[in-house]
Amino acid sequence: MKKNFLVSSIKDSLFTGLIALALFGPIVGLRTVAKNEVLVVNPKWFIVLIIVIVCALGRFLTNLYFYNRDQKYGIQSTIGKSITNFLDTKGTQIALSAIIFSIIFPFLPFTDRYLMDIAIMMLTYIMLGWGLNIVIGLAGLLDLGYVAFYAVGAYSYALFAIHFGWSFWICLPIAGIFAAMFGVLLGFPVLRLRGDYLAIVTLAFGEMIRILLLNWYQLTKGPDGLTGIPRPSFFGLPFKSFPEEGEQTFHTFFGLEYSPMQRIIFLYYLILVLALITNLFTIKIRRLPIGRAWEALREDEIACKSLGVNPRNTKLTAFAIGAMFGGFAGSFFATRQAFISPESFTFIESAIIVAIVVLGGMGSQTGVVLATVFLIGLIEVFRDFESYRMIAFGGAMVLIMIFRPRGILATRKPTITLQKKEATK
Amino acid sequence: MTAKLLDVENLTMRFGGLLAIDDLSFSAAKDQITSIIGPNGAGKTTVFNCLTGFYKATAGSMFLNKENERLNLKKFSDFKVAQKAGVARTFQNIRLFPQMSVLENLMVAQHNKLMDASGFTILGLFNAPSFINKEKEAIEISKYWLDIIGLTHRADDDAGDLPYGDQRKLEIVRAMCINPYLLCLDEPAAGLNAKESAELNKLLLFIKKEKKTGILLIEHDMSVVMEISDHVVVLNYGKKIFQGSAKETKNSPAVIEAYLGTED
Repeated sequence: MKKNFLVSSIKDSLFTGLIALALFGPIVGLRTVAKNEVLVVNPKWFIVLIIVIVCALGRFLTNLYFYNRDQKYGIQSTIGKSITNFLDTKGTQIALSAIIFSIIFPFLPFTDRYLMDIAIMMLTYIMLGWGLNIVIGLAGLLDLGYVAFYAVGAYSYALFAIHFGWSFWICLPIAGIFAAMFGVLLGFPVLRLRGDYLAIVTLAFGEMIRILLLNWYQLTKGPDGLTGIPRPSFFGLPFKSFPEEGEQTFHTFFGLEYSPMQRIIFLYYLILVLALITNLFTIKIRRLPIGRAWEALREDEIACKSLGVNPRNTKLTAFAIGAMFGGFAGSFFATRQAFISPESFTFIESAIIVAIVVLGGMGSQTGVVLATVFLIGLIEVFRDFESYRMIAFGGAMVLIMIFRPRGILATRKPTITLQKKEATK
Repeated sequence: MTAKLLDVENLTMRFGGLLAIDDLSFSAAKDQITSIIGPNGAGKTTVFNCLTGFYKATAGSMFLNKENERLNLKKFSDFKVAQKAGVARTFQNIRLFPQMSVLENLMVAQHNKLMDASGFTILGLFNAPSFINKEKEAIEISKYWLDIIGLTHRADDDAGDLPYGDQRKLEIVRAMCINPYLLCLDEPAAGLNAKESAELNKLLLFIKKEKKTGILLIEHDMSVVMEISDHVVVLNYGKKIFQGSAKETKNSPAVIEAYLGTED
């Protein structure tokens, strides 16, 4: 048995080497260089050899450690189990310390403008992830066009703020309502669809919104985008370095020295509060009848019907509420950037948000945070190595799928329990 | 003579050229167990699907007689049969919510009532006392049923982790949690061993006696059918070939012929 396994592993890794040769040979090995205005092939066989050896050896090692039948549950499940155990037992403490950390984060000594920007971006993605978690994680509706609601929120905020001059706190709920309306609009035609078919239609919906924004020039200024979106003010006190005559600004009101960081910090807390509201809302609604109906619908739609649960209303509320939070995040995005164009709402954004939800473990709120920190953090760390970023991104996904095939945090806690009650009696 | 709860009149269901149910009429009484039996493909499950709104019957009518109203089930589409008319059902292949806990399964069954109490979620978000009370009540109802099937100690486990026999019983009490007038059971004894099917008989007799719920039962396990049915309807090729008490059915030549064929 053992010997057989070794032989087949060697065969397998040699085969991998062959595939690597076929792939990298032409791509890496045959490099064309312009010499005296003529293209010449500049072969680099040594690099190809190294790549092939690395691939074959890597395959051999994974064979030994991951797929060795003698140790049926190899290291992947041991690591996975210890992670789950740790997060299960210490879940609340971790969540609390994460919240405390994010509250004091702007005042930590090493925090600079760059870190703040990343933190704001991460929080935006966390909020989007939490919003989409309602649709995908709870209701089980694979929505690949979530960015459409983000766009609707951003554009409706921008248009209302520019044309009517309404403040952030008025435009925010309006943007949310608009996004929710679009959620219902998407929801109706896809009521009967599930799984792959639903994914295709939602993907098309996302593209439709983007193309609409691109072409409706009179309203959206098309590819030029919308500029001059009002910056948020601190309850009526704007962040300005040179206040006009007699105008109160944030720094004059509080008697502080003006610093551009003040606005950044305010934005940071704004998105932190918005994200936490999303989270609290989701935690709460999961325990309400509607939340349980979402999860039941994810599990078995026919059984739901036999129990008198209205699948239409249940699905539409999931779409609408998920979209609403997407819209809130969109308004924040618009007010932070002060400039939006359809380019910010491409399919890749949807893909990243879906990846965050799926990698985090469907339905897990903490999982979304971990996945965001992991994915967005990784993209940022590799910012200097522009061309390797996507490799790192893909590699990270592969690793998560090997170690935690059902997402980083896949355990589900019941929304209501009987035993705890008995224990307190 | 007990009052008739369900009157099925001239029910016909046609799938293209296939006549699945052919002019079927029968009735079921309020505190009786009515069994529908017949060889495979006789159209038994199709009758259930028509009754519970999963199919739209081609012709005929199905009346549910409540205390003071007579509802035509044909007018209700899918989920409304359970929600408005109070007809619950189980499935041939168990359809629980496997990744939700046992208690949650029973809570979903009480969805409509809780949804109203939660003021379409808005009152629920603010923990309105009326909602909290209603929720406690629903938990008590769930607990009552779990005690009856002896699964209280597993209330917080995933329904999918229960043994097969317990899943069957859970599906039945989940259907009972919507407080139905008529309970339609599609082969509840399939895959159960002798002890489990004896427990099932006990549960069904309890529901019939204590809850006064009419039970419509599709079953192949004759030990269940003969022991607990008050009334048996035999189908073959979508047609009713016999109806009567369990004992009469056992001795009917038409039924024996349908199951075993004729002597040539």
